[in-house]
Amino acid sequence: MITIAVDAMGGDNAPEAIIEGACIASLSSQVHILLVGAEPIVSSLLKKHRHEAELISVRHAPEVIPMDARPADAIKALPNASVLVAARLVATGEADALVTAGSTGAAILAASSCWQRLPGIHRCALAAVYPTKGTHGPKEDPFALLLDVGATVGASADDLVRFAMLGDAYARIVSANPEPRIALLSNGTEFNKGSPEVVHAHALLKEIHGLNFIGNVEGLDIPLGTADVIVTDGFVGNVVLKMLEGVSDVVQELARYAYRSRLTWRIGLSLLSRGLDQLREITDWEAYGGAPVLGFDHLLIKAHGRSNPRAIRNAIRVAAKAVRGGLVEATAQGLARLPFQGDHP
Amino acid sequence: MNVLPVSHIYRWDLDKTYLATDFDRWQNLLKIAFEKPEQKVNVPGTAALLRALPQAAPEGTRVLIFFISGSPQQMRKVLEAKLALDGVTWQGLTLKPNLRNIARGRFRAVKEQVGYKLPLLLEGRTDILPEVGETLFGDDAESDAFIYSLYADFMSGRVEWDQVEQVMKACRVYPDALAQARAAQAHIQRADVVERIFIHLDRRSSPDRFDGYHERVVPIYNYWQVAVCLHARGRLHAGGVAAVAASLLSDYDYNIPRLVNSTEDLLRRGHLPVRALSALAEELAVTEGVPPLLVESLGRQVASPPLATSYLESSMSLRDYPRLLAIDQAARKAAKLAAQTLRRFRDPPI
Repeated sequence: MITIAVDAMGGDNAPEAIIEGACIASLSSQVHILLVGAEPIVSSLLKKHRHEAELISVRHAPEVIPMDARPADAIKALPNASVLVAARLVATGEADALVTAGSTGAAILAASSCWQRLPGIHRCALAAVYPTKGTHGPKEDPFALLLDVGATVGASADDLVRFAMLGDAYARIVSANPEPRIALLSNGTEFNKGSPEVVHAHALLKEIHGLNFIGNVEGLDIPLGTADVIVTDGFVGNVVLKMLEGVSDVVQELARYAYRSRLTWRIGLSLLSRGLDQLREITDWEAYGGAPVLGFDHLLIKAHGRSNPRAIRNAIRVAAKAVRGGLVEATAQGLARLPFQGDHP
Repeated sequence: MNVLPVSHIYRWDLDKTYLATDFDRWQNLLKIAFEKPEQKVNVPGTAALLRALPQAAPEGTRVLIFFISGSPQQMRKVLEAKLALDGVTWQGLTLKPNLRNIARGRFRAVKEQVGYKLPLLLEGRTDILPEVGETLFGDDAESDAFIYSLYADFMSGRVEWDQVEQVMKACRVYPDALAQARAAQAHIQRADVVERIFIHLDRRSSPDRFDGYHERVVPIYNYWQVAVCLHARGRLHAGGVAAVAASLLSDYDYNIPRLVNSTEDLLRRGHLPVRALSALAEELAVTEGVPPLLVESLGRQVASPPLATSYLESSMSLRDYPRLLAIDQAARKAAKLAAQTLRRFRDPPI
C-alpha cells in the first residue's frame, strides 16, 4: 500500500484544510496517509470530518515552521517541525512521498537534510504543469511542464541542463511521451539570446544525444504548447506560474462581471457555461493539487500555500500516482543518460 | 434439562451492521429481496465475531444473541439460512411486519425505527435479571445510536419514562407502539445494563456526530475495533479477537496496517485504554495463528500510544433527547447525501 506523509501544519489554511483534504482523500483512494503534526490538534480535527480511519495514521510533531520564517534558520531552530518529521518518515521508508503546503524553501531544506539528491543533481527543480493550446505526447495531454518554478534561484547553465533532463524523464513517464520537446525559456528564439547561463545551457543541451531539444522559446510560446517541457530558472519560473494563475483568476472575474452587466452577455455566457466550466477546471490550480520537486531520491510534492481541502486531496493523489508510476526511478534513469555526472568541464 | 443462566445479551441490528446491505438506492431493493442466502454479503468480520461471542461466556453461563431488524418478515427464511451458513447461534430474530403496516395504511411505520425498535428492546428486557448486561450493535444509516442510547439511559435511570414518552411522541410513533412500550417498561427491573453501543460507520459519518451521547456509544469503522473493545471488557477471548483478525485478513481486503490504524483510531478517540491493548497484545503473542507482525505492531502502539489518549470514563450527565433527535435526523440526511455524492474530481494531469 502506498503511504503518503502529509505535513498537516504547513500552509496558509493549515491544519484545518490539510486535515479535511486528507480525510476526503482517504475516502476516495486506497492510499495510506500519515498525518504529521501536533497530535492533539490533528486528532480533534479528524473527529469532525468523514474519513476512512483504516487508512489514516497520525505522527506527532510538536513544532511548525511559519510560512514567513527564514527556512535555513527555522530548520535549525525547530528540529521537530512537522515538515522535517514528515521528511524523516520518507527517509526511513515509513512513507513513500511527502506532501506539504508549507514554505517551499523549508520543504526543500527539510528534504535536503534527510534525503539524497540523484546522481549528478546539485539543485532541485519544482515542476508545474499548465494547460496549453496544443496537446502533448500520444496521450494528447493538454498540459506541458514548466520547471523550475521556485526551488532554485540563480540556476547555472549546468543546473538548467539537469532540469532539462529531469523534465524529459518526467514527461516520458507521466505523459507517456517517448520524445518530449525540450526548450529553454528565453527572450528570443535565437541561440545567442538570453542570459549567459541560458546561452551556455543552449550550447550544452544541443550536444546531448537522445534529447529532443528544440532550442529557445519565448513567453508567448508557453500557452501555445510549442514545447512539452520548458526549462527556466526558479525566479523566472515562479513569476510565470503566478502570472498564469492570475490570468485564470482575471478571466473568471471578467466572466462574472460580464454576467452581471448585460442580459445579452449573460445569455451568451450561459450558452458557453459548460465550456467555461471545463476551462475553469483546467486552469484551476486546485485541480492539480501539487507540483513535484524533482531531483531528490524521494518524492516531494509541494502543494500551493493557499491550498484548500480539494487541492490537498489532489496533491495526495498526485503523490500516489507519481509513486505508482515510479517517477523518482524514471528521473534517475533519465539522468543516467547524461554524458557527465559531476560538474560540467 | 438444566439451562445455564444468562450472563450477557447481544442485540444486533441486521442491515449495514451484520450484513453489508445497500438499500440506499431503490434499484437495489429488488435485488436484496430476491438474493439467496449465499449471495448475502457480511460486513467484514461479523460472522467470525458472532461465532466467537458465545465461546467467551463465563463458565457456567451462556450469552443470548438477538437480531432486531427493519427488514420485512418475508425475508425470515433467507435470513435464517444466512445465519446458519455463517455458523451463528442465535435466540431471536425479529423482523418488521411491513406488509401489515402498509395494509393498515401505516406508511410512516415502514421507515420509522423508534416506534419499532424501542418497544422491542424494552420487551426483550422483561424476565431478565438486572445483573445481566447488554451490548448493542447498530449503524449510522438509521437512528440506532439514538434509540439504543434512549433505551440505555431509561434502563439506567438517567431518563424517566415521561421523557421517553415525550421523545416517542416527537418521533410521531403510532399510539399502539407507544402503548406497547409503556406496557413493557412497567415490567422491567431497571439497572445500568447497557455496557457498550457499537455503531458501525457504514456511511463513514464523522465521529463527532455521536459526541452528544454517553461514552458507551462507540462509533466503529470495522469489527476488529469491536473485537478489541469487547476483549477489553472481558467479553471476548484473545482467540475470538484472533479469529476476527484472521477473517478480515484472509476473507476480506484487509492488511495489518489497516488493523493497526484502526487500533490507533480507538486509542486516539479514547475508547480503548492503553493497558487493555497491552493485555491483548500479550495474549495475542501466545495465540495460535496470529501474524507476528500484528503482535509487533500492537506492541509498538503500546510503547508509544497516541498523545491524545484520554480514556473516556462514564459520566452521569443527562442528555437532551429532543435536541439529539433533531441533530440525529439532520446528520443522517447529511451522511446519506455525502455517501451518495462523494464528489469526483477530475484526475490531476500527472
